[in-house]
Amino acid sequence: MPYDEPEPDDPQVLVGVTVPGDAESAREMAAAFADEFARMGFGRRQILALFRSPRYAGAHDALARLGDVEVARVVDESLGVWGQVRLAVEDAPTAPGSAADAGPVDSGRFLKVLK
Amino acid sequence: MPQVNNWQLGRDMGYVYDAKYPARQFAFVFNINRCIACQTCTMACKSTWTFSKGQEHMWWANVESKPYGGYPQSWDAKILRMLEEANPGEQRWSEPASADNGQPYGQYDGQTIFEAAEQTLTPDSARVLGYLPPDEEWNSPNIYEDNPVGGRGVRDRLHETGEQLPIHNTWFFYLARICNHCSYPACLAACPRKAIYKRPEDGIVLIDQEQCRGYRKCVEACPYKKAMYRGNTRTTEKCIACYPRVEGTDPESDGQPMETRCMASCIGQIRMQGLVQLNDDGSWAEDRQNPLYYLVHVAKVALPLYPQLGTQPNGYYIPPRWVPRPYLRQMFGPGVDEAIERYVNPDRELLAVLQLFRRSNKIIFRYEFEEGPQVYEGTLRGRPVTLYNDTVIAFGSDGNELFRTTVEEPLHVRPEQHANSI
Repeated sequence: MPYDEPEPDDPQVLVGVTVPGDAESAREMAAAFADEFARMGFGRRQILALFRSPRYAGAHDALARLGDVEVARVVDESLGVWGQVRLAVEDAPTAPGSAADAGPVDSGRFLKVLK
Repeated sequence: MPQVNNWQLGRDMGYVYDAKYPARQFAFVFNINRCIACQTCTMACKSTWTFSKGQEHMWWANVESKPYGGYPQSWDAKILRMLEEANPGEQRWSEPASADNGQPYGQYDGQTIFEAAEQTLTPDSARVLGYLPPDEEWNSPNIYEDNPVGGRGVRDRLHETGEQLPIHNTWFFYLARICNHCSYPACLAACPRKAIYKRPEDGIVLIDQEQCRGYRKCVEACPYKKAMYRGNTRTTEKCIACYPRVEGTDPESDGQPMETRCMASCIGQIRMQGLVQLNDDGSWAEDRQNPLYYLVHVAKVALPLYPQLGTQPNGYYIPPRWVPRPYLRQMFGPGVDEAIERYVNPDRELLAVLQLFRRSNKIIFRYEFEEGPQVYEGTLRGRPVTLYNDTVIAFGSDGNELFRTTVEEPLHVRPEQHANSI
């Protein structure tokens, strides 16, 4: 963002246009993020932290518009379902002698191949 | 102009060359509902390829805000406006969707960028409707969002709370983009030197840097603006789909095809990439247990980006469920309503396939789904939800298992300070 107000003839200035939206869209966006991250195994504290971080503009904007209480309610709704279970991922056994079996690839080896 | 089959449009269309299809096609699905624009994919692309002289600009992945953003700015609004001006009021879909007729999204009756060029552009050598973005439109990948200022005179520090980031006072979402490695690439059609080619083994579209003279016809033609001119090399570059990984020549891969770096780095787990089999007419061959085939052709939750442009892109998106439908229909075609309905109310198999995202860096060629007992029944925002202890198993190109995901009963870990509490 520029420090100063733009010059009147600056072609880079974005012109704001009102996009028709649904009043429920902020709540739906919050619910979508809450559902998705609850499905991924995030807990209440982690999901609320996502909403509170201003760097995640979508979630943070929903928090700004809906408020802490409403967002917490939406998150608890999601966790009420998706928090009931957790997913377990089991990797297939590593084949003896494979690259994965040998441990992490060191960067020197990777660069050597590329050269 | 030769006629080719565009299954996304549900009809034949004019293209500059006769149809040729690869043995398998590079394709991917992005779940927009999960994307928080952390830009890890963007940085993965940059850090993977920009490590040597002449490679300073080998950086092609981006994530942009919609509807405001774009890289270059307003790329989609501009090409849609050009098409509308070429064919006023006629850029419409008709015919209901019918998988039996090979029209999963219905039929598009408007003009593609190839057809509009044939009717409106001169001379004949102008093969694709497009435009060359001016430098200013390339100068901010995320204009007004990528460089929040700190205090005046304070260097190398972001604002501590980030409160100077712009506020969107309406709905918006993040659109992660790489090259779509289209089946009918506009960049390839436009190149007067035939420096652009589509690999017969995996459909990845590449620019031969020895042949390219930097005429920028591909930059002008690509409607997604994913061909980029580089002043330092005086050639045009584009996403190479991390092809050493897709080939399985990455030292970490054990010879198995791996997903690209932008896919593998996605912490939001929004991405899945694969290689799909094609029929003789370029449509997807039935491959019921391929997760990409399932998402695109069975569950139909993943839709192509701006299919009406006519390039038959191989990037598919699960649309964001909170965005007004008219906007999404313009962006992803008429399949949006059905896609969101199915995504919001997923059946057992869809829920299982969604668990395949980002569990492995190797490309999943096949999955198996095993039903388990019911573990939960309840409602979520008025909708009934039933969860099962189902198992989904992923297999690689050699037919061996990569991993399996199951549902477990919740495990409550007692906080450390209460470790001995009852």
